[in-house]
Amino acid sequence: MLQSLYLLIPLSIILVAAAIWAFFWAVNRGQFDDVDESARMALEEDPLPLNEAINEDAKSRRE
Amino acid sequence: MAASAPLSLDGHWASESDGEGHAVFNAEGIHCANCARSIKNTLGTLPGIKRADVNVVNSRVSVTWDPGVVNLGTILGSVAKIGFRPVPLVGDAAAQSQKIERRTALKRIGLAAIGSMQVMMYAGGLYAGAFQGIDSDLSNALRWTCLIVATPVLFYSGAPILRGALADLRRRVLGMDVTVSIALVLAYLASVYNTITGTGEVYFDSVTMFILFLLLGRFVEMRGRHQTANVTDALARALPATAQRIDPDSGVATKIPLGDLRHGDQIRIGTGQIIPVDGKVLSETALVDESLVTGESLPNRRHGGEALLGGSINAGGAITLEVTHLPSESTLHSLVRLLERAQSERPRLGLAAERMASWFIIRILLLTTLVGLVWYVIDPARAFPAVLAVLVATCPCALSIATPVALAAASSRLAKLGVLVMRPDAIEGLASVDTVMLDKTGTLTEGHPRLVSTETTGDLDPARARAIAAALEASSQHPLAAAFKEYADPAVVSHDARDIAGLGIEGHVDGSLWRIGKPSFAKPGSADSDAQIVLSDGLKRSAKFRVADVLRTEAPAAVAALQTRGLSIHLASGDRRAAVMDAARELGIDKVSAELRPEDKLRTLQNLQNEGRRVLMIGDGINDGPVLAAADVSMAMGRGSSIAHAAGDLLLLRESLASLPLARDVATRTLVIVQQNLRWAVIYNMTALPLAAIGLMPPWVAALGMSLSSLLVVFNARRILRASHAVGGAA
Repeated sequence: MLQSLYLLIPLSIILVAAAIWAFFWAVNRGQFDDVDESARMALEEDPLPLNEAINEDAKSRRE
Repeated sequence: MAASAPLSLDGHWASESDGEGHAVFNAEGIHCANCARSIKNTLGTLPGIKRADVNVVNSRVSVTWDPGVVNLGTILGSVAKIGFRPVPLVGDAAAQSQKIERRTALKRIGLAAIGSMQVMMYAGGLYAGAFQGIDSDLSNALRWTCLIVATPVLFYSGAPILRGALADLRRRVLGMDVTVSIALVLAYLASVYNTITGTGEVYFDSVTMFILFLLLGRFVEMRGRHQTANVTDALARALPATAQRIDPDSGVATKIPLGDLRHGDQIRIGTGQIIPVDGKVLSETALVDESLVTGESLPNRRHGGEALLGGSINAGGAITLEVTHLPSESTLHSLVRLLERAQSERPRLGLAAERMASWFIIRILLLTTLVGLVWYVIDPARAFPAVLAVLVATCPCALSIATPVALAAASSRLAKLGVLVMRPDAIEGLASVDTVMLDKTGTLTEGHPRLVSTETTGDLDPARARAIAAALEASSQHPLAAAFKEYADPAVVSHDARDIAGLGIEGHVDGSLWRIGKPSFAKPGSADSDAQIVLSDGLKRSAKFRVADVLRTEAPAAVAALQTRGLSIHLASGDRRAAVMDAARELGIDKVSAELRPEDKLRTLQNLQNEGRRVLMIGDGINDGPVLAAADVSMAMGRGSSIAHAAGDLLLLRESLASLPLARDVATRTLVIVQQNLRWAVIYNMTALPLAAIGLMPPWVAALGMSLSSLLVVFNARRILRASHAVGGAA
């Protein structure tokens, strides 16, 4: 029973190392560069509102 | 540190001319007023430096030197030598260095968070073992595991703290970093020694947890600093990067970078384009929307020879402009300078805290030494745990999170009300203001014209008149055309509509020729004033429209609610006096100033502040940027300009002023909770300190007590989220 701990403890270090590696990888890929953007995105005007886009699409089909 | 980076004197960040060199650069690593002062002092002692200014808020250093005596390399080298990394300020490079700083900070926090959780898990096993008995081999294995995980946390995550302490010592000043580093290094070394020898206590859990808490606080501070630095960039983006220069010989317009413009150049600006520089109109007439710069709601007509402001929008036909001011001399540019000045004047509170901390730290160190000495005399074996316990117990952790957690809870509550908190100190400010200064256009009003009345003559139905107007105006870029948009009727379509610059639009609807625009154009011979828009078929049928920028429907109630909360309301607008007075009367505001330029607004604000008032400024335009930055607290409208967003402490997302009084209530409540938290944290530190000093509290109890005390503070703060239902319901 107790012996299993000597396997589990090194295993936990490996898991921690893997978690840290994954986090660093995500940061380096720019995953957390701008977490405010999604909050601000709501303020930006849509390039084309949805219903207009649908109308536009319908029109182009008719033509 | 490598002092001599490859340096060039081209680019915009450094220049030498007329026997004088000038450079502006970022110094990475500035995080307190002490740092700024030491850079300034170091530069001051160099020969040949004429002037050196350091801005703590955006880490910006500006130097002027005599090229005959000293060169840029030496200057940057001397800054690098005292521990700050000089980074040239070239648009992208500044943003790049911000990004790198942020990523590094995140990695440090990530490692500390994962590491400290893991170490705490192992430590839990050790503590349990200490009570129930543990196999000594297993206990040793756990200690070695803690050592392996804690080492990178201390030397990678804790690097800025250790480095800060070294820099402090080298400069012979005492900062928070010094005591913290002493505690960290002592605890770590003792733990390593005890792990190797297999005796005594290990403190790896306290070390990692401590680093995590400290880094989180710094991250919040760093974000605030970056946001401030972004303000100027946002303003620069308001201008286009290129201009259409007309070749004087061939008359052909070619696109050139804004920086290549010279005085006297002629440039061409199309309909709806932004005017890039200040200049003189060469065309006969021009219609410009200056709302971005002056806040004036309706477009203005300018005649040949009159001045135009860079940053305004050409609302009429294409115009030709003669450049009178280069981009660097423009009105918009002077706004940037106002903004920077306003920002650099702001962090008074931070400075006071800095001084307090240094005073506090000297006392902690003296006390710790005293405790250590006394214990060394009584019982040398207990001296070290006691010293460590005192250092941990005096760690103002609960004290330092007492405010941030309450503010974080308040932020999320405010976000539900549609108010986004952009800077952490904004909530405290919102609770303590006694005066509100409001902009009119775009803040109290909707910021775009709306049809307020329709009068028709002949057999013309008002609804039909509006539909015809909407059809004619559908393709127009004119700002007033937006007023008709909502009345568009798919059944009413115009043909061959054409824009007659400065006068109006004519086009065919249902076979007859309609004209809409100035009364003299649409219906020649009519005596109506220019304030009205006239639609006519040139025969019997005609309609008169009145268009105005109307008040938001909820504005009067919101203003009244703020007044009942004891706030004094001021209306300050760049718009025409008559329009401002009308709005003030309708809202019941008696303190009004109108026709203000941005610098007048700033002065009005500063006068209020000199009277001892704490002012909340609410605005939306670029022209409000400096006032927003200089106000004690500022709120920008969500639909406002990006410069207002960047300068605002709070952002009103919801297009409704009704959230204002509620937000004030949340802020007031938050302040009460912050005070409760602070009181608790001080009581905890006061009780823990003597217990630790007399040896009744081992370091792990001190660390546990610190964590529990922090938890209590966190749970108290969460009450803001719950209690706010009552606040929301009351309104």
